[in-house]
Amino acid sequence: MPITIAVDAMGGDHAPGEIVAGAIEAADELGVRVLLVGLEPAIGPLLPAGTSGVELVPATEVVAMHDPPASVRTKKDASIVIAAELVRDGKADAMASAGNTGASMAAALLRMGRIKGAARPAIAVPIPVPGRAPQILVDGGATVDCTAEWVRQFAVMGREYARIHQGIDEPRLGLLSNGEEPGKGDDLRKAVYPLLEGIPGFIGNVEGRDFMHDTVDVIVTDGFTGNVALKTVEGAIRGTAKLVFDTLMSTPELQAAAEAVMPALLEAADTLNPDSEGGCVLLGVDGICVIAHGSSNARAMKNSVRRAKECVEAHVVDRMKGAVADAG
Amino acid sequence: MPAETHVERSPIGPDDVFRMIRERLAEILEIDEDRITLDSDFATDLDADSLALIELVEALEEELGERTVGFSIDDEDLGDLHTVRDAVDYVMHRLSAGT
Repeated sequence: MPITIAVDAMGGDHAPGEIVAGAIEAADELGVRVLLVGLEPAIGPLLPAGTSGVELVPATEVVAMHDPPASVRTKKDASIVIAAELVRDGKADAMASAGNTGASMAAALLRMGRIKGAARPAIAVPIPVPGRAPQILVDGGATVDCTAEWVRQFAVMGREYARIHQGIDEPRLGLLSNGEEPGKGDDLRKAVYPLLEGIPGFIGNVEGRDFMHDTVDVIVTDGFTGNVALKTVEGAIRGTAKLVFDTLMSTPELQAAAEAVMPALLEAADTLNPDSEGGCVLLGVDGICVIAHGSSNARAMKNSVRRAKECVEAHVVDRMKGAVADAG
Repeated sequence: MPAETHVERSPIGPDDVFRMIRERLAEILEIDEDRITLDSDFATDLDADSLALIELVEALEEELGERTVGFSIDDEDLGDLHTVRDAVDYVMHRLSAGT
């Protein structure tokens, strides 16, 4: 029996067209069975006759990108809710959605439940590091207001996820702050620091400049600063890329040089493209939920399904339960 | 009201509702039930945020829905529930109103 992934076909800026296309590619290339959850009249025409490995699961409602997370309570027949229920009921091994992040988190939390010892979910975001495996940022934005204990739980789960994702036995764990010294930071950082000292691999505070550098493997923080940092990194990458390409186009001589270097530059730039990584895993819920970015295209959705499949194969939920229980 | 909208098993009183809320809230917040009293403030005494209250509401709707079909709690009303006592009173009111 192939691994089954429930895909929210209505979630994302380019849904359902790009999502359905990505799901079809995933079923074809990854050998998974995809349950496409969404409005039948919208999805049906996008599924070519004879498509194998993809089945339609009808929903009658859609959670819009601007809806509040609590809308999953009132829109009980929404595609994102049904996808989470398919995982809860054992009809799918994992779900993936490029829709409303807050609603994805709420649907996963309310339908799948939390794992014991994880008070709040956290998003594990792979951050590209040139020449090596990505860093893991946790929390990338699931839980904005945090207690120190919740951040400690994020650290435990993020560390375990990095061990799976990066294949490192003892990843270096850093607390994102505004200085490396232990006393640096606001009240939350100062309260979290001593709670992390007993976690193997804890190297102390790290700073924003440690993103994308081989100085730390797991960067832990609350969901607010994590999301701000993530968007800052994304903006800086785009700005830098634009600077490089604009410079290469600025004179005829540089344009000539660009012809030689552009293929290698484009290949390098692709390693920084979020579409190549796929989605981010929601840690702390009792099921696998992959959250893709809202502007996901077919490639991003295919890679999100790939990420979901990898999590199923790696028994991520069981590994999280074990790590949280062992850490007390 | 159609007969099938009421699946009464036994009368439910404020003490039953309090016990139910205390049990569910203790599970959600992973704290001892003893910490939860009628006068406990969700935010200041129990550190229960809006997501925790939504989890509580879902659990109550599931459990009480088995007794009174269609029992529901309006999300808009959550902002008025500050203490456990507020929640017990609210649930009793909704039950007596038949929804």
